[in-house]
Amino acid sequence: MSSTSAGPSRPSNTRLSSPGLVGPGRAAARRGSALRGDNRLALALPAAAILVALAFWPLLQLGSMSVHEVTAATLNSDWLFVGLDNYAALLASPDFPRAVVNTLVFVVIVTVIGMAGGFAVAVAVSSPTRGASYLLGMMVFVWALPPVVNGSIWKFLLGDRGLLNEVLRALGGSPAGVGFLYDPQLALWSVALVNAWAVIPFNALIFRASLLAVDSEVLEAAEMDGAGPWRRIRHVLIPHARPTATVLAILTVVYAFRSFDFIYVMTSGGPGTASTTLPYLAYVEAFLRLDYGGGAATALIALAVVIVLALFYARDVRRSEEA
Amino acid sequence: MTQNRRRTGTALIAIGAAGILALTGCTPSETGSDTTTLTVWHYYNTDGQVEALEKLADSFTAEHPDVTVQYEYVPVDQFTTKAVTAAGSETGPDVLVFGASGTYPLAEAGAIEPMDDWWGGYADKDQFPEGVMQRIDGELYGVQGYVNLLGLWYNQDMLDEIGGEVPTTIAELEAVMQKAADAGHQGITLTGKPGLESQWQGFPWFTSHGFSYGDPQAAPMAGTYTMLQDWVGKGYLSREASTWDQTVPFQQFAAGASAFAVNGNWQIGAAKEAAFGYGVAPLPITSDGGVLLGGEVQNVGAFSKNKELAQEFLESTFFSVDGQLTLLDYFGSIPARADAASDSKIGDDPILSVFVDIVQKQGRPSPSPEVPSKNVNEVEGLVGDFWSKAVAGDGTPAQLADDLMAQLVPLLKG
Repeated sequence: MSSTSAGPSRPSNTRLSSPGLVGPGRAAARRGSALRGDNRLALALPAAAILVALAFWPLLQLGSMSVHEVTAATLNSDWLFVGLDNYAALLASPDFPRAVVNTLVFVVIVTVIGMAGGFAVAVAVSSPTRGASYLLGMMVFVWALPPVVNGSIWKFLLGDRGLLNEVLRALGGSPAGVGFLYDPQLALWSVALVNAWAVIPFNALIFRASLLAVDSEVLEAAEMDGAGPWRRIRHVLIPHARPTATVLAILTVVYAFRSFDFIYVMTSGGPGTASTTLPYLAYVEAFLRLDYGGGAATALIALAVVIVLALFYARDVRRSEEA
Repeated sequence: MTQNRRRTGTALIAIGAAGILALTGCTPSETGSDTTTLTVWHYYNTDGQVEALEKLADSFTAEHPDVTVQYEYVPVDQFTTKAVTAAGSETGPDVLVFGASGTYPLAEAGAIEPMDDWWGGYADKDQFPEGVMQRIDGELYGVQGYVNLLGLWYNQDMLDEIGGEVPTTIAELEAVMQKAADAGHQGITLTGKPGLESQWQGFPWFTSHGFSYGDPQAAPMAGTYTMLQDWVGKGYLSREASTWDQTVPFQQFAAGASAFAVNGNWQIGAAKEAAFGYGVAPLPITSDGGVLLGGEVQNVGAFSKNKELAQEFLESTFFSVDGQLTLLDYFGSIPARADAASDSKIGDDPILSVFVDIVQKQGRPSPSPEVPSKNVNEVEGLVGDFWSKAVAGDGTPAQLADDLMAQLVPLLKG
């Protein structure tokens, strides 16, 4: 095509036969590019292998377990295929609806309080004062505390003779105290509130990073225009933090949805099953009742919700990168 | 630079090789023989229990200087799964010290093997009562070297203060608890945490009300839950008990907060910290009621490479008179052997002698023989969960009992 349109003044074979300046050069460049592409793929192989070994393979095993009868007695032998029986048994179990409702309540409490608290604290520590630095340091400390330690401390504080009940009694509350961890109506709320408290530092740090990018001149201009603190937050900071909040909300929901450690330490899912969520129910079935098939089915249902949320997260991240 | 690196590398390799040669060459020549390591998996975690294990190891290695006993702690809720998983790869410890509810899964998974042949040739086998044998389909899969069981601990000083006597019936118990509550004390502490522990705690009370795993009926269970909720309502028992394991309620009792505690013989050491006079009595249950004989089960691991040595270890520690008395000294476990149980250490002790009496009069095998082996964990977990719900008031007694039966009966049919 190019040779016919090149015109008579330019020999038709000039371009095609030029000594490696264009044609062979391009080919070499393509080969090099392909080679570099291959190299890049090769560099990703170790990570891919680890991902397959530690994530995909266990997930496949989990899926396989959920459609087989797997107990401690049969774990090492051939598994009997039972189709969707484990799922059917789970749906028929009286514990399942309660665990689903508990999980939803838990997620809502942790997400709403975690997000609102995180933003409020971020606003409080975004100013360069000594108090803000101190608060920031304390938050990092709380964030770094292992959940088992955190949960144990709160279990002690919320006990019948714990600090909170003693304060309530001193303020004229009921001598019997409040059953934060043993009242079936309160136990889930108590654990969820502690979990929300534990996630606030992380959310605050992320929000703070977002708020630090707000141009101080914009805030000064708003102040000069007569905007008080609340209006500056509402009309400047919140709109600015909205993209961060979207991603953070998804992360917080995922965090809340898979929460296990605080429940394990503080209530063991009780009293009875009053604070049992789906992840905790999966643990009970698999590791206490040794019904690994039932536990796998429960875990997969919980995982499906997390995967859907993760997809939303990935989509938002991609959109923000494209923008 | 490159040469320097090569020289450094060569030197490091040479030093490493020399070190390895020195280690491999010197150790046998210094000791004169190779040492054998005997691994023991257990879930003991209190100070007394750990000290007892070390004492047993010391006595064994004193007679076998070429053996090292290596204990490995595995949390109780991970024990069965870990042992089963290990068996899947044909590995595992030389000795397992495990909970009775784990016998069936461990046996089915091949982590432990029948020990009839070994036990048949064991000279002291007749010292052990049948109640401590863990059998599946007639084959012996483990033996309990000791038993643990529940009794009614009482605060003598508090009883003297309120004018109460040690009760022998539930009505008498409630009358004393009423006096304690009137005086501003708790009546009783017990376990209500969801799960296996609460089944064990509840068994004496619901069997006392006429419940049986062989003929499960809602009415006796509803009667038990009514009793529990009555105790909570009248202030005898804290609702917080619905979150307590077996340690917390005894701490409350030992601190002088309650007149009674339903707790086990392993609390003997903790009780000595109490700043008041105390004693133990049989639980004031009816003749229908019984107390489960718990305690850990011992057997050799199926994939042990030192089976004979492991058997010898168990015979000279957990199954021996001295070993069982050591366990008694350190955490108050009741020896399973008849000759060890008749030791003056027990007969002369006002607490231990009562527990031995309870074994004779109220003792029941654990797990209950009426529960199908493959469903032991599910049944005990379920019954424990409902005990917890009853203490917390998470439903009326009749409703809880009906809900329990709906799930329990199919499991008991196997």
